[in-house]
Amino acid sequence: MMRTCQIVSQKFAIEDAHTLSIAQEHGAYDTLAKCQEFTPLEMIQIIKESGLRGKGGGGAPAGAKWALMPQDSEQSSVLVVNCDESEPGTFKDRQIITKDPHLLIEGILLTCYAIKAQDAYVYIRGEYFQFQKVLQRAIDEAEEAGFLKNINITLHRGAGAYICGEKSALLESLEGKRGHPRLKPKQPEPEWYFGQPTLVNNVETIASVPFIIQNGAEAYRAFGTEKSPGTLLFAMSGHVQNPGVYEAEFGVSMMDYINHYGGGIKNGKALKAVIPGGASTGVITAKEAEEVTLDYEALRSMGSALGTGGMIVMDESTCMVSVLKNLLEFYHEESCGQCTPCREGTGWANTLLGKILNKRGSSADINQLLEIADTMNGKTICVFAPAVSSVIVSFLTGFRDEFEVMV
Amino acid sequence: MNQNIEIIVDGQTYEAEENSLLIDLLIKHEIKVPYFCYHESLGADGNCRMCMVEIVGQKRPQIACDTLIKPGMEVHSKGEKIDTVRTNILELELINHPVDCPTCDQAGECSLQDFYMDYGLHTSKINVQEKVTHAKHVDLGANVMLDQERCVLCARCTRFTDKITHSHELGIIGRGDDARVSTMPGRPLSNPYAMNVVDLCPVGALTSKDFRFHQRVWFLKSAEAICQGCSTGCNIYIDHNKPKYRDDTVYRFRPRRNDAVNGFFICDDGRLSYKALEENRQRQTLLEGQEIETDAACSHLKALVQQHQGNITVIIDANLYTEEITALLVYAETIKAEVTAPLEFYNDANFEDDLLKSAQCAANYQSVLDLNLSTQAPDKKGLIINFNYPEQFHADTVVSFNTHQGAQASLIFPIASYSENSGTLTNKDGLEQFSKKAVTKNSPSPTILEWLERLKQ
Repeated sequence: MMRTCQIVSQKFAIEDAHTLSIAQEHGAYDTLAKCQEFTPLEMIQIIKESGLRGKGGGGAPAGAKWALMPQDSEQSSVLVVNCDESEPGTFKDRQIITKDPHLLIEGILLTCYAIKAQDAYVYIRGEYFQFQKVLQRAIDEAEEAGFLKNINITLHRGAGAYICGEKSALLESLEGKRGHPRLKPKQPEPEWYFGQPTLVNNVETIASVPFIIQNGAEAYRAFGTEKSPGTLLFAMSGHVQNPGVYEAEFGVSMMDYINHYGGGIKNGKALKAVIPGGASTGVITAKEAEEVTLDYEALRSMGSALGTGGMIVMDESTCMVSVLKNLLEFYHEESCGQCTPCREGTGWANTLLGKILNKRGSSADINQLLEIADTMNGKTICVFAPAVSSVIVSFLTGFRDEFEVMV
Repeated sequence: MNQNIEIIVDGQTYEAEENSLLIDLLIKHEIKVPYFCYHESLGADGNCRMCMVEIVGQKRPQIACDTLIKPGMEVHSKGEKIDTVRTNILELELINHPVDCPTCDQAGECSLQDFYMDYGLHTSKINVQEKVTHAKHVDLGANVMLDQERCVLCARCTRFTDKITHSHELGIIGRGDDARVSTMPGRPLSNPYAMNVVDLCPVGALTSKDFRFHQRVWFLKSAEAICQGCSTGCNIYIDHNKPKYRDDTVYRFRPRRNDAVNGFFICDDGRLSYKALEENRQRQTLLEGQEIETDAACSHLKALVQQHQGNITVIIDANLYTEEITALLVYAETIKAEVTAPLEFYNDANFEDDLLKSAQCAANYQSVLDLNLSTQAPDKKGLIINFNYPEQFHADTVVSFNTHQGAQASLIFPIASYSENSGTLTNKDGLEQFSKKAVTKNSPSPTILEWLERLKQ
């Protein structure tokens, strides 16, 4: 049975919860007083104990990331909230910023207190123009109400590059440069924004903070699994009756989720495949979907990933070659072009698949696709190319026969 | 301070500073590793992914340019696994490359060609028609031409304008395989060091408008010389060749690495100063504008020296080699002449900058100062013997030894230019450097030392 959980989505159903007055009626900003009971280090400890994991796709423990932030730095620290939600199939963050933006602001204030930051930036996807207005209005309201006395929140619109959702590319972009991912540091350290120590977290991660501070780490751990505690705004699109965003705890069965919230597959057709967590996670077959639970570990063991939890559900009528073509067109367009394997690999793979789709390919082309995928895996600065690689491999592993009949 | 530690590369032990870059060690010990984007002057960027090596204990191959040397590290720079990785990445590098080597000016000194011979040798798996196309003739300004299709997007050129000249003219626009180097509209490449991007470019994307299509590089011979543009004494290669039926000619200057002087670069003024070497050369021995035999000219000079005894000034040019200046001082003493080496012509505060250019625009300026030579204009107006100083002085009789035309003198001797001669120069920091002879003309002009020998007879 699905347990209802509303950690982030508690005010989604309330009309006009995006306005300060309604939000406050329902408890917004109550934790600001509560957090004064804790020192910043205690706050970080609570987040660590809660097991909160980054909800932007990687699933890295948020507390460990917070703990990297210096508490006594001469340079003031910066919080950057990643709202560059560009992953195909993912549309959860926009629910937060349109339906309950004050929850995000509250989370920002708590996080800034914990990492001793005075400046917070929300890097918002350029295409989210309407949603950005809602969030800006909420920030203005909070400012007027005196919540932002010690902290500046700046909304920064991206210019439409998918790669700017990668945290270091996001920071480059925020610094006014080209959105190119940076080389990874050699030891654990914070990110850097104009030389200032910086924490980059996803919108939903930050929006989960108020609940944890209000109710404690154990209350958060009451949801989810041992290794994937808490909840996620899972989302569904594609061939389901009721596509949308529904919060659920980690560890529920994928099919239960799809049937319970999504109302099952559209038009009574059979399920064929699911892309489990945004386009960059490997596709799984219907059979695998029957077995898998929605948590990081279960999906990793299937060779895929939970990602952002934005499921793309496909029924039996779907042509998997076309789906892959659609995805590769996207990756070809969005590769930043910095590293050779990704820059050239995405284009070549897209060209090859185009040939296959037009019935001009050969089985050698299929093998070539796998070879390109191999070269793209693990040899680049960021995880864009490895993600593309895993997508190609998962399609060719799960649905090779569909490719074979085309050549 | 980082300690020196030992690491193992391909079974051999090497000493290196802890936390220094692995690629520097590989380059230093000439362990073959292909790379496009890394450059010692620009640091690591990590975009070409060619310098992959295997590090024992690491699951995946790592790029050497972003790997810090740690104690106990064991590295494999070759082997089947690494070669396959490099081959595959190189194949991707070439997938959209036009492979127009026969018409490419970089052919022969192209990293892409070299690496293909080392790691590629595969047949292309893509039709020419399927390749991504870009602009092939983009005039970036400052004598630099861009072919966007040949570019491997190593970003050396853009990093040069960002980190070295801080002029930021070049950038990369577009994403994925549409990415290409470009300038902003109305802001061409223009800085005094711009042409260094041609040397930095590992492939044929950036070529010199001045040099392209004039010579195939494999015909060129290189001499290690010193630039004579100013007293910085930048180390250069003089690239020259003697094509069939033609005379030995200088085709270009290239910077030669010397960390104590110029690093990896030279200024564009110095680079293009080779042109003036060849133009308007003084090739004939002239008496009152009429060509005469060299023996007769020598006798004439000796007679003039006799005639003006006690009233002679020898003028020494501050670009002459130290050996020549020393010999001239001896000569001046023999003929009891006064010596002066005027410098005024060579002072140009506008030329100076904080990178390489010096306000003292003569190669051996410092030697003149070190030797305590007079730098005043000559005061004896009997006979002036001017050894290549470009300004003109008036006297009863003027004799001039010149590399180039334009001297106003009754007797003119042609001399070899610095590319046709070798010798020592002292730069502004007091560093003595030897410049080697590059060019041997079909009918060479004698050097100053040779003329002085003849005058002794």
